[in-house]
Amino acid sequence: MSSSQGRRGSLPGTSRDGEGGVLSRVTSSISQSPVVYRGKRAASEAATVTKKLLWSTGRAAWIAGTTFLVLVVPLIIEMDREQQMNELELQQASLLGTSSPSMAAPAPPK
Amino acid sequence: MGSSVSHAAAPPPPPPAGLAVALPPKAEEKSEKKVDYLNLPCPVPFEEIQREALMSLKPELFEGLRFDFTKGLNQKFSLSHSVYMGSTEVPSPSSGTIKVPTAHYEFGANFLDPKLMLIGRVLTDGRLNARVKCDLTDNLTLKINAQLTNEPHFSQGMFNFDYKGKDFRAQYQMGNNAFYGANYIQSVTPHLSLGSEVFWLGHQRKSGIGFAARYNTDKMVATAQAASTGIVALCYVQKVSEKVSLASDFMYNHMTRDVTSSFGYDYILRQCRLRGKLDSNGCVAAFLEERLNMGVNFILSAEIDHRKKDYKFGFGMTVGE
Repeated sequence: MSSSQGRRGSLPGTSRDGEGGVLSRVTSSISQSPVVYRGKRAASEAATVTKKLLWSTGRAAWIAGTTFLVLVVPLIIEMDREQQMNELELQQASLLGTSSPSMAAPAPPK
Repeated sequence: MGSSVSHAAAPPPPPPAGLAVALPPKAEEKSEKKVDYLNLPCPVPFEEIQREALMSLKPELFEGLRFDFTKGLNQKFSLSHSVYMGSTEVPSPSSGTIKVPTAHYEFGANFLDPKLMLIGRVLTDGRLNARVKCDLTDNLTLKINAQLTNEPHFSQGMFNFDYKGKDFRAQYQMGNNAFYGANYIQSVTPHLSLGSEVFWLGHQRKSGIGFAARYNTDKMVATAQAASTGIVALCYVQKVSEKVSLASDFMYNHMTRDVTSSFGYDYILRQCRLRGKLDSNGCVAAFLEERLNMGVNFILSAEIDHRKKDYKFGFGMTVGE
């Protein structure tokens, strides 16, 4: 309100007419003042920059995601399989390793 | 008492073999051995100077379905059948390359002998490939490479004569289109080998000379190549462990001011071989060969080009040794 009061002083001859005219002149002076105009332009530029930022973030996320999917995911899957096979072999080796001495021990007393 | 007898007869526990192997060997005299310059090892052939890098960074990516079947009839002779259905890139004058769906069946026969190797392939689109490798003497080898096509003026043939010396190799090439070339590579130290090549193209009256150097140890291979056609290529392969190796490659073309660099990994596991590559042209590629069974391999190939938005995926199977 105080800013509009100050603005009203800058436009001469606005306080002399009727009430409706004063209201419309006040709102038009507000909407045409330089500060509001600059504020609108700044807001639209900020919206454009934000939109571009979101768009390029989206593109970067897409490129990173598909690259990760093609390069890294098969590697993880294969390394996991290799590890499982190693564990299986270790288990089987330990199973076979413990069974043979226990079978050889009762044989010599014959 | 019976149990004590059985304990005495029980076999002694196995020695800690794993721990002994893990300790470094005491005789590390390899690094202090004096270099014998008269007994240098034979270098790799000139065209295989970048072999490790090419194997890791340039797998045979394809788009579509690929099926290969190899049947061995004999110890030396085998037949192969191969089906391919997919798109291939055809360079078109109007808009770069266009993808054309193609399908072909390829029949091939291989004869492998220690001294003679014959490979022939014939395709349903009218192409014939033939390769002959013959050891004329212990040191001299003749290689013939021919590709015949239906279209006129597209057939190619090349004769190579390779001579393998004690620590050098020399090669002489003769091809159709009046192509003559020669290259020579020599081991300079046990790790470093230097080579050079010259070629002459008769029909276009073009000639060129190139130089190459290769430095390899047990763990790494570094090569550099420069040619008068304006191409400089460097590559480096490091064997990180016995299953993993990493490779990187740099190529600069002076005529077209084109620079490409790529980086890739190569994992050789027991059941599969996985190669991945990342390029400076915005290309990401991966190639997986998975062993499903004895002699049955499953292949997956993926290539994504982010810059041109070109996506190629392929799958296939290879049956037979």
